[in-house]
Amino acid sequence: MELELIQLKDRCLADLKDVCELKALDNLRIKYLGKKGELTIALKGMGKLSKEERPVIGKLANEVREEIENALSLQKQILDKEEIDMRIKEEVIDVSLPGKKHFSGSLHPLTTTINELKEIFLGMGFSIAEGPEIEWAKYNFDYLNVPLDHSARDLQDTFYYEDDIVLRTQTSPVQVRVMQEQKPPLRIISPGRVYRSDEIDATHSPVFHQMEGLVIDKDITMSDLKGTLNMFAKKLFGEQTKTKFRPHQFYFTEPSAEMDVTCFKCGGVGCKVCSNTGWIEILGCGMVHPNVLKLCGIDPDVYSGFAFGMGLDRITMIKYGINDLRLLFENDLRFLSQFK
Amino acid sequence: MLVSLNWLKEYVDIQLNPYDFGECLTMSGTKVETLTVVSEKVSNILTGKILKIEPHPNADKLVVCTVDLGTDERIIVTAAKNVFVGAVVPVAVDGAIIADGTQLGVSDFRGVSSHGMFCSIEELGMNLDLFSKEIMEGIYILPNGTDPGLDVKKLLWLDDVIIDVELTANRADCQSIVGIAKESAATLNLSLGAFESYNKVESTNEIKEYLNVTIESDLCPRYVAKMLKVKKIEASPLWMQVKLLNSGVRPINNIVDVTNYVMLELGQPLHAFDYHSLDSKKIVIKTTKNEKIVTLDNKERDIDASMLMITNGTAPVAIAGIMGGENSEVTDATSLIVLESACFNKSSVRLTAKKLGLRTEASARFEKGVDPELAIAAALRATWLLEAIGACEVVEGVIDVYQQPVAIKKISLDINWVNHFIGISLSESEIAALLSRLFFNVSSENNGILQIEVPSFRQDIDAREDLAEEVARMFGYDNIPSTIMGGETMIGGKTPVQKYEDDLKNVLVGQGYFETLTTSFTSKRRLSGLNCATPEDLVPLVNPLGEENSIMRHSLIGHQLEVISLNYHQKNPFGHFFEISNTYRKNPKLGELPIEEKKLVLSTYGNDDYFELKGMVELLLAHTGIENPSFISGGSEFLHPGRKAIVSANGIILGEIGEIHPLVVKNYGLPKRTYVCELSFSDLYDCGSMGQKFVELPKFPASNRDLAIQLKDTIPAAEVDAILRKNGGNILESIELFDVYTGSQIPEGYKSLAYALNFRHQDRTLNDDDINPVVEQILAELKSALNAQLRE
Repeated sequence: MELELIQLKDRCLADLKDVCELKALDNLRIKYLGKKGELTIALKGMGKLSKEERPVIGKLANEVREEIENALSLQKQILDKEEIDMRIKEEVIDVSLPGKKHFSGSLHPLTTTINELKEIFLGMGFSIAEGPEIEWAKYNFDYLNVPLDHSARDLQDTFYYEDDIVLRTQTSPVQVRVMQEQKPPLRIISPGRVYRSDEIDATHSPVFHQMEGLVIDKDITMSDLKGTLNMFAKKLFGEQTKTKFRPHQFYFTEPSAEMDVTCFKCGGVGCKVCSNTGWIEILGCGMVHPNVLKLCGIDPDVYSGFAFGMGLDRITMIKYGINDLRLLFENDLRFLSQFK
Repeated sequence: MLVSLNWLKEYVDIQLNPYDFGECLTMSGTKVETLTVVSEKVSNILTGKILKIEPHPNADKLVVCTVDLGTDERIIVTAAKNVFVGAVVPVAVDGAIIADGTQLGVSDFRGVSSHGMFCSIEELGMNLDLFSKEIMEGIYILPNGTDPGLDVKKLLWLDDVIIDVELTANRADCQSIVGIAKESAATLNLSLGAFESYNKVESTNEIKEYLNVTIESDLCPRYVAKMLKVKKIEASPLWMQVKLLNSGVRPINNIVDVTNYVMLELGQPLHAFDYHSLDSKKIVIKTTKNEKIVTLDNKERDIDASMLMITNGTAPVAIAGIMGGENSEVTDATSLIVLESACFNKSSVRLTAKKLGLRTEASARFEKGVDPELAIAAALRATWLLEAIGACEVVEGVIDVYQQPVAIKKISLDINWVNHFIGISLSESEIAALLSRLFFNVSSENNGILQIEVPSFRQDIDAREDLAEEVARMFGYDNIPSTIMGGETMIGGKTPVQKYEDDLKNVLVGQGYFETLTTSFTSKRRLSGLNCATPEDLVPLVNPLGEENSIMRHSLIGHQLEVISLNYHQKNPFGHFFEISNTYRKNPKLGELPIEEKKLVLSTYGNDDYFELKGMVELLLAHTGIENPSFISGGSEFLHPGRKAIVSANGIILGEIGEIHPLVVKNYGLPKRTYVCELSFSDLYDCGSMGQKFVELPKFPASNRDLAIQLKDTIPAAEVDAILRKNGGNILESIELFDVYTGSQIPEGYKSLAYALNFRHQDRTLNDDDINPVVEQILAELKSALNAQLRE
């Protein structure tokens, strides 16, 4: 019996030398150590042994099993490693080949500009107000203090749907609606689509976009207007940006101004972007005209406020250096995909 | 408006360099667009008198001139035809520079040395548009009596700086040299010079013997007439011509030039009539019935009853404020003129000019509004000039019909209010001084309230806010501090629907969609490509820019097809687009604004199919919190009849999706497979339930059953889906259709739909006894309702 076990072990270790794949290794394990394996069969003869022999042979059997198991496990490790090494060798790729294409779209650059402006004013406590694009003429003109005989009301300048209904020429009617419907204090911006009867060219379009802002409260001063718009300019064009307020005229405001900012491209030295002036005209603004406040049911002796308005298409063009307004409305992917 | 700086300096002693001066004007409200020197480069061009002209010994086309240059004589060879002995001409002597920068030397003309060159107006760098062809083509002949040896650059004001100013609509008073001079004087705190005027004490009222003026309309607040006897009609003096030229006005003759000169100088348009051509002793200002008049530009104009006319009582002789008639034009034969200095209603002039398509320097000024107080001053200024230049003798007396005198406006100004409103702190006397600079009559009683009398030329000043602007701009907008708004803290922010819109856009961009920006206009012709009946509730425009843009769009799809067509033809191989924009429809309720509905449109072409786009829509719906939307066959005619669906959720129709109809594909030049989906943005938002709620993760495992169901291929999968859901009960966690099969394995006309059903119970592990009855029930109903069976 003792000899039988030793021979079994030697046979197994000899067989193991020839094993070079995992499947054969597994077969070998089953052959010697399996339920019907040689070791199990050999140990069936244990019953015939004497009381004295049994523990000796039992111990030997365990040693043989252990030795075989260790040898098998060692061989398994070797084979596992060989297999992995082989796989790694086979799986070498050219990591410099291009990646698989994924596509992302983009917001229209005008939307990106609007978002940027919104963020600035939302941060100052403004809300976003919206209103109809097809609007009562009285909201677009009368309540905004535009004289009855003003040429802006002409068919040449304004699109009409009916005698008293126009395509709004500015987003200001939204301000009128807000002033009539809500009580001060008010802080709103109103981005949106506006219409004027201009033939389309590199800088004009009958459909374009504006954003206006309105603040109404007690004790609002012209210096607040300057402070707010200075902050806006610095946030939009950078901390180094300077502003210049020039007197101007709008029916909606008195006093009125136009705001220029130092050219973000050249910093004010003069370049192509700013036509060598160092300044870029950005917006019109002013203190809300007392007639407008009165027409909207706000007492100018109690409240004051300021308003401003800017062309979004123009700001988008300036910001990205786009030289033709028509590109914004054309939607050529070669254009759109530049703004990812 | 063009302003001659030299002329301006006759009224205000401007010492600043032109650029600094321009900046000052801009910052006080008169925006300077450009500053241009008339002819910057020219130098060393002198006046020369031609003493002798001799033929050139070697050339027929050249002549040799001896020219007196004041200090010496030179020989100059020229080919010019219009020179003559005695003519005074500009001579570019050797070393001189002409307008294009060329420097001249002594040159040899076939053996004769020429010591300079005679100059044309082009070589002098003057505005060619302001001269007749004859003058333009020859050597510029200076007026008789001009001294030789003068510097032409100075003489012709070629060194003058022309300031192009942009005037705001409210500053009618600035449309003149004196108007700008007032602003300049106020801005620089300098005094304003005066002009000479006719102020002779007259002993008779001779004019009454010739003329009577009546106004029969309220469109003419004032009409002043002065009459003059013509001594000689000739060219006006050089100094006058030069000022006209530098203001962009063409010199004509002494009478016309004076009327233009005074208009440029004071802002009051004047007109001169030939008295004898009036053929009447009266001028009547009125509207007439439909008439015709030939204006000074030799064109016949149709006059209607709304237009104010100057008549001789019966026939029109001028269109008020716009242009005179040819029938009363001043000619070389004119011996007596009527000088009109009037004020006309600005709207009337504007509308008439618009109707006639005739805008003139005069009408432009009347449209903005001319101060009625100016009429008499301008008439007397012109009278003085006509007399001074020797053109006329004065007929004594003046006619002044002033039916609507200007009321003097008085405004009280609270100093505290101004300071507070602007955000500054000036004293009463400082504010008084600023306003006085602008010619306001200010009286101060040192009680904090200023009494302001507004000069008549400032028609734009009505209220304290207007005066606040005057104070602010004289103080300097740049000197006003920048402050942070006080008052209540405002939270502000976006509304939920505004956030949703931004969110939806971001999802689409992340999925490879590009946002488009298309216009709101469309037209019946553009819509005809969709092969649909045009809706009846479209919103047409009264005055569109062409048929292309004649109606407001009721759908975003047409423009998306145009975008795809453009990109397809630009050889962009595929594209995914979206837009969220308004659409417009007539309001069925009378007296209401049209209805504006925001819509979301998606469109794709290239690699995709219907299910790609549908998958995108499902993703958006899921993102919006819309569960179990339905896609039921149907939709507009421009979609492929077999590949279109109405999208709805909770019984509300959200919109439609589908492939573009092959005929529409042809009409728009689209790629063969183009897909669109249009949904109502507000319905989408309303149907959704935004905001995620946490659901505890399942504790027990799920059981999966795969069912391959065979049924007629005309039955939509949606019906199978509905039966699965209905019978699955609350243990059916999810359904996924993973295969659709038609082919040889199953009978013709049938399809097989393979579903993976996932069952799960919240509180325990499910076994066959739980699931089998449910599956059997499902199969039973599939059989009874759809005659569908489990595929063998």
